[in-house]
Amino acid sequence: SAAAPRPWKLFGAMCLLRLPRITQPLEKVEEEMAALMEQIELEKSLYSDHEIRKLEEEEQLQRKKESLYDEDEAHGRTVILARDLEEKWEQKFLQFKAAPRITDADKKNDRTSLDRKLDSNLMLLVKQKIGNQELWLLPQVEWQPGETLRGTAERAMATFLGDHIEAKVLGNAPYGIYKYKFPRAIRTENNVGAKVFFFKAFLQSSDLSQAKLKADYLWVTKKELGDYLKSEYLKKVNRFLLD
Amino acid sequence: DALLGCHRSYRSRPTHGIGKFKYLLPKEPPKKRKEKVQMKEIDAGTEYQYGDVNIQMTSHDLCLVEHFAQYVHRLCNRLSIRVNESYAMPTKTNEVLFMEERGSKMQLDAVLTTHQRVVQIRGLSSTFAPILLEIIQSNQPEGVHLLMKQHTEADFKSRLKSRPELEELLAEMS
Repeated sequence: SAAAPRPWKLFGAMCLLRLPRITQPLEKVEEEMAALMEQIELEKSLYSDHEIRKLEEEEQLQRKKESLYDEDEAHGRTVILARDLEEKWEQKFLQFKAAPRITDADKKNDRTSLDRKLDSNLMLLVKQKIGNQELWLLPQVEWQPGETLRGTAERAMATFLGDHIEAKVLGNAPYGIYKYKFPRAIRTENNVGAKVFFFKAFLQSSDLSQAKLKADYLWVTKKELGDYLKSEYLKKVNRFLLD
Repeated sequence: DALLGCHRSYRSRPTHGIGKFKYLLPKEPPKKRKEKVQMKEIDAGTEYQYGDVNIQMTSHDLCLVEHFAQYVHRLCNRLSIRVNESYAMPTKTNEVLFMEERGSKMQLDAVLTTHQRVVQIRGLSSTFAPILLEIIQSNQPEGVHLLMKQHTEADFKSRLKSRPELEELLAEMS
């Protein structure tokens, strides 16, 4: 018999992740352990070349102050003392300023910017209209026959963010699936419900200055997903998200 | 005195050679010095398994790189992925010279060492590979570059040292 049209509509959705840039702050146990290990290593370690040189030169200076022998020895030594080198290095270090770790926490939770939480994964959420409601979802687009599901997901990404995004899609296999049935009013024989397949991608470049088609987008961490997604959807999505 | 006065099993005694056992073991083939080239596995197909995959980690900080390599190795052990080899590439030392031209020309030197560790994996199924990649990437420490690529002959040969005298002799012969 001919292929019966399936009652489920298929959607491909893309979960675009921005990887963390900085390591997460250590917990209390980890910090104490690290401090202890450092102290042990320091006590067990031997002097390096630079430190030996420094000690020798300090002894020489002391001898110079007490007696005046050292004119013969001073010719053999180098002009620059180890102490001066250290001072130079200290000055250079003070000139160096590290970039701030908490950049846009200052901006009062501006969830549309990518610089927000540099130590955790950020995901893209888009407001989409499904049926009658406007919902916050991972960007999804309906599957067209003849297209791979991964292609659908990439198309979904392209419709919301423009064509040239450097995102690396991880593999051809979907990560999760969410299926729901339409409310009875719309249900027909051919259209019982919909299945959404999730794919993951990593955002390579951090600059998304291209035009965005829909203005309602958010970059959200895993914990904040609960504020926006519905509970059933959230459960399925949480299954494939690492933290 | 009883300990000192033991009778050594001499050749005329019937107990000569009483402790020998090596003749009972199976014979081992003599050890060869040459390394054999690697084998390749199926790459595409319905099973979709990758052949040998190299995970290369480079960094300036030795402790970090070693600990990360150990972590990756243990992770693969736990996930029952077969690890062929886990080796280190020779370190590269870079001398950085600053030319400051404020007043007197000063040259400040800095010596940087780059370390590289490689973990070689076999039998990675393609449904699992992106998950593994994600785990490793999300646990990457700062200052460590990660590179995952398939193993090639060139990679294998980069570990071996070239012998100029042998090459000269071969060139003379042919």
